[in-house]
Amino acid sequence: MSNIIGIINYGIAGNIHSVKKAIERAGGKTLVINSLSDFDLVDKLIIPGVGSFKDAMQELETGNFISPIKGFGKPILGICLGMQILAELGFEFGKTKGLALIDAEVKPMLCDGKIPHMGFSKISVKVPNILLEGLEDQEFYFMHSYEFVNYTDIIALTKYNDHSFVSAVHRGNLYGVQFHPEKSREAGIKLLSNFIKL
Amino acid sequence: MTIRVIAKLDVKPPYVVKPVHFEGLRKMGDPSAMAKKYYDQGADELFYIDIVSSLFQREILFHEIDKVANNLFIPFAAGGGVKNIDDFSKMFHMGADKVIINTYAIQENPDIIDKAAKIFGSQAVVVNIEAKRWKTKWECYTDCGRIQSQKDVIDWVREVEQRGAGEILLQSVDTDGRCRGFDNELASKVVDLVSIPVVVSSGAGSLKDIKILIEAANPSGVAIASLLHYDRTTIQEIKKYLNNDVVVSQ
Repeated sequence: MSNIIGIINYGIAGNIHSVKKAIERAGGKTLVINSLSDFDLVDKLIIPGVGSFKDAMQELETGNFISPIKGFGKPILGICLGMQILAELGFEFGKTKGLALIDAEVKPMLCDGKIPHMGFSKISVKVPNILLEGLEDQEFYFMHSYEFVNYTDIIALTKYNDHSFVSAVHRGNLYGVQFHPEKSREAGIKLLSNFIKL
Repeated sequence: MTIRVIAKLDVKPPYVVKPVHFEGLRKMGDPSAMAKKYYDQGADELFYIDIVSSLFQREILFHEIDKVANNLFIPFAAGGGVKNIDDFSKMFHMGADKVIINTYAIQENPDIIDKAAKIFGSQAVVVNIEAKRWKTKWECYTDCGRIQSQKDVIDWVREVEQRGAGEILLQSVDTDGRCRGFDNELASKVVDLVSIPVVVSSGAGSLKDIKILIEAANPSGVAIASLLHYDRTTIQEIKKYLNNDVVVSQ
């Protein structure tokens, strides 16, 4: 198998460059996905994410990316906002429908700490998963103001000022991480390498 | 949450330089090599500021930023001379995760903060504040601590938070590069005032200065330049001293 990792390029807000570099460092080949036909060329998919829920969904719609993502079938990793839009609904700048692939809602973080939650925090693995193999209690970089509210597909939680939130999920071919593996030193590279090997 | 320890590179391409009170630049080394060194030491983030771009009113040297971003797998904030949304876009494209803005937002048009936050998300917009004490107040400076703005730091901090800034980099023209401690009073005022993260810079001369800052102001992050550039300490030592977990990349 050729094992090419596709990175969805949607609009100006994606951090494609960092993700591409990190995958290559983890030993993977990448292809930036700019159009529908690119989906056929890749074996796995990464939905990166910087920006707002609403803008991200609009950009995916404009690029006609929604149905190829839904029908992809092979492993997909959503990063930060890329994970959040897997949910049914998002509440950033009004209520927006997500990709609705995971039964979840994305809501503002409610805790005493400064928002956005920004910096390195540990993950606590709740359900062993290949994606997180060898990464128990490792620190990852978080940069977010909203959280993924889900009860059924959690594989890791993280604490921020005594507030626990979902930091990783897995359902079928879908994986999502609230943190940025491409910005999490060697632990992040290890996670991407786990994803490449799936 | 442990405090973020950030390495700050003040750059006058092609060199990292170190001003004292934002003046009298000394060459410190090659930006990419220094960035890599601090990454290997376990820095939580890297800040890169082209400190002469606004002052000389020249174009941003994007290729310099691209070089630094390579081989860095930690958050990277870049700034200096940012004037429009296209500059933001290019910075992200070169590998920046956050863009730092000061001069244009104060002198020309603060709306750029709202606009950038709307498009790229608040977390990607860092407002750099260069504060100078005047009696019991502080005034914002621009162009690398050269130009007075008549804007009160406290008012401006409040305004940029409302406009959607995701983070504040708080520097002090008075204490910068002197290595005699931070302006702790200023830091404490600003941290208490806003609910967004504040990264404090300017003045660390010893590990103890950092501890005093944390006790006085409890900022989200501390940005260190001189102490690291002159090899007077390392990120590991700072973290160990602050009882952080030390994470060193292989």
